Amino acid sequence: MNIEDSKLSVWLRESRATPALPSRFQENVWRRIESTAAAPEKSGNWLDALAALILRPRLAFAGVALLLLTGTLLGAQSGVQTARHAAQMRYVAAVAHEFTDRQ
Amino acid sequence: MKRSLLILLAALALGAALFAGAYFAAHRASELCCARPADDLNWLQLEFHLSNAELARIRELHEGYLPQCAERCARIAEKKRELDALLGSGTNATGVPVKQAEIAALRAECQSNMLAHFVAVSQAMPPAQGDRYLAEMKKFTLGAHEKIEQSMSGDCVHEHSH
Repeated sequence: MNIEDSKLSVWLRESRATPALPSRFQENVWRRIESTAAAPEKSGNWLDALAALILRPRLAFAGVALLLLTGTLLGAQSGVQTARHAAQMRYVAAVAHEFTDRQ
Repeated sequence: MKRSLLILLAALALGAALFAGAYFAAHRASELCCARPADDLNWLQLEFHLSNAELARIRELHEGYLPQCAERCARIAEKKRELDALLGSGTNATGVPVKQAEIAALRAECQSNMLAHFVAVSQAMPPAQGDRYLAEMKKFTLGAHEKIEQSMSGDCVHEHSH
């Protein structure tokens, strides 16, 4: 590079207009970068985690077993109560059918 | 996110279906299994924890009472038919109160025999169970009439307030 070229470079650099940056420009840029990175994680986070948890085979089998067991126990208990009530009504109807509450 | 939501909804639906299926199957099975007692007194023995000797004594009372009860019920039914015939003909209105009084007298006789039977059965049980038995029978027999009377008197108050 000769002297003429370096002069030209200096001259060109000085002639280029550099706009002034707004105040706290750098801070604002970092804040936007951080909020963009955090946003998708916040909205889908717990749903994704729960879905992933449900899809784990061990937990899925445990859940199914628990539901079947609870349903069976509660259903059996309710069935026994219904049968007992029906038997009670049969006895009452046999000994007092003129005075029972026929609803 | 949408996929996760779909997975959760599908899991919820599947869980609800599994629970409901197990519940209703078990309900039906135990209902069928327990709903075939040997006779009417099977419930009595289970409910009031009766020994075989106590049950035998109660069976004796029960079998002695049932034919009398059936005979009184037949008489009440006959009187009811007669009352219906009188009400249907519309000519002999004076006979209606007489027939109603006859039915009421038969019902009173039936009721006092029924209460005597309940007392006799309760005495054949251990005291605590006997008291519970009497309370239960009162609830299902006299209690039903009390409910009707209370609702009727409530209606009357309602009617008169207008």
